[in-house]
Amino acid sequence: MTAARIAKTAAYVALTIYAALSLYPFLWMVSGAFKTREEILDGGHLIPREPTFDTIVTTWNQLAFVDYFRNSLVVTGLTVLGVLVVYSLASYAFAVLRFPGAKTLYWLFVALLFVPGITMLLPVVILENRLGLLGTHMGLVLPFINGTAPLTVLLLTAAYRSIPKELREAARADGASEARIFLRVYLPLTKPAHVTIAVLTAVPTWNEYVLSRVSLNDESLYTLPLGLESLISGTVVRYNEVLAASLIMVLPVVALFAFLQRYFVNGLVGAVKG
Amino acid sequence: MASITRSPRRWKEWLTGWAFVFPAVALFAVMGVYTIGSGLALSFASWNGFTPEWIWVGLENYADLLWADPSLAPGVRRAAWNTLQVCVAVPLLTVLISLPLAMTLNSVRRLRGLLRSVYFLPYVTTGIATYYAWRYLLEPEGSINLMLRSVGLGSLAQPQGWLANPSTALWTLIFILVWSAVPTATLLYLTGLQAIDPSMVEAARIDGAGPRQVLWRIIVPLLTPMTTGIVLLGVRDSLHGFQIFQIMTLGGPGGHTNVLALETYELAFFKGLAPTLGLSSALGWLLFVAAVLLTLANARLLRRVR
Repeated sequence: MTAARIAKTAAYVALTIYAALSLYPFLWMVSGAFKTREEILDGGHLIPREPTFDTIVTTWNQLAFVDYFRNSLVVTGLTVLGVLVVYSLASYAFAVLRFPGAKTLYWLFVALLFVPGITMLLPVVILENRLGLLGTHMGLVLPFINGTAPLTVLLLTAAYRSIPKELREAARADGASEARIFLRVYLPLTKPAHVTIAVLTAVPTWNEYVLSRVSLNDESLYTLPLGLESLISGTVVRYNEVLAASLIMVLPVVALFAFLQRYFVNGLVGAVKG
Repeated sequence: MASITRSPRRWKEWLTGWAFVFPAVALFAVMGVYTIGSGLALSFASWNGFTPEWIWVGLENYADLLWADPSLAPGVRRAAWNTLQVCVAVPLLTVLISLPLAMTLNSVRRLRGLLRSVYFLPYVTTGIATYYAWRYLLEPEGSINLMLRSVGLGSLAQPQGWLANPSTALWTLIFILVWSAVPTATLLYLTGLQAIDPSMVEAARIDGAGPRQVLWRIIVPLLTPMTTGIVLLGVRDSLHGFQIFQIMTLGGPGGHTNVLALETYELAFFKGLAPTLGLSSALGWLLFVAAVLLTLANARLLRRVR
């Protein structure tokens, strides 16, 4: 009994330590956002001595946050939407329909997993420059969508394959069209997988910096990461403002995840089993 | 007779299939086929991005990167060594931390859901915002150093800051990479553990298996698909990803945290009018070859473990 109790206590101690480590930078983000310029310089204490809202207000006013938010929302929203539409259709075809080239195309998309994004970056920039897409939001969205192809096709095809074929046969016997079967039978049954894909796409897109950095020039089109960067590129870095801006940037994603968490976990479980 | 009645139907299914994959294929044709083709072609040419013509140089770019150009090859070799350390350390440490973490989490009832959400936070927030927060914490007077000093481990503190000291910079970044990779890995292991039939473990216990045997003979083998996925994706992310290197150190101090992907990026966008675009493409393709080779090696290794 006592041995079991000791084991249990040890387990909770270990779990708490890792929880603290997971939260560590996030806690300091919150703490820094409520500190003044002077207090942030003497950095050892987590709880601000004189918490102030001024830092968040100054940071918000200093940057065009409303623009950055809107731009980030547009880019992330269009990317997630595009990924869900384009690859749920393709994965449905790979999992359910039989047509020449299905297998080749499926493996081609999966093989793209090994092509590094950086290898494609320069040609994408050159191509977009020719097409006049460089520096636009569409110029970000299209390569982002294409970049998610391997993992999305893998996960969604597995999810559609896990649906019993009899359901499709039955729907077809009732005279349902392929589009109808896809929309009314397969999509509702694979909702968790789609939420998982949406989160796995939204998080990196929201935080994307590399392609945005080399393609966006017009400051009114900047996304949040570029806005945040402009705070740190000056000679004197005011970390209380950087941390406040970081907090403003991550809060929406944290909220989104908290909201979708249940589906997300289920979708991941389904994908692993599939 | 049968073939005549069946063939229109089959045609219909073919057309439906093609229609369903069309958007994905069209996007890939523009953003994938064309860019892969032109990128590969560019790796055999010399170009600075502004002149109208490419100058074909054959395999010269590859040779320059690997050995021929004394101003390039040593830097590339060092970046390759750094990349290799990241590629081995990050997946390995991720597995070594997330497997025990998931097993411990699976063994408790209370607070399990809350802890699972907390552990997932680093994945959700990782990126430029968290990297800046880490930069602040790793500064000379940052909270990491102050914490070490306050618990009497002042000798471990880094007076120059963790990212400015050549001997700690790379491992500090590896630590942060592991920190952001553990969430997904833990979640995968946790779902894997919950799928294990408890009666199987029970039966092994009745047959006299100790906890160690249960772990190595039952749990670890059953989790191999998760481990394979975590390691393969970890290696891939370590080879491909360089955002953290670009945001936190830009390869410094003195190239000690330069990795191949970052070098590729610098050659592509930060060399002004120098004709380095072909070199950048060549390095990108060398990275692709490395990704394929490492994946094959890993798949073999993991199959042997199973």
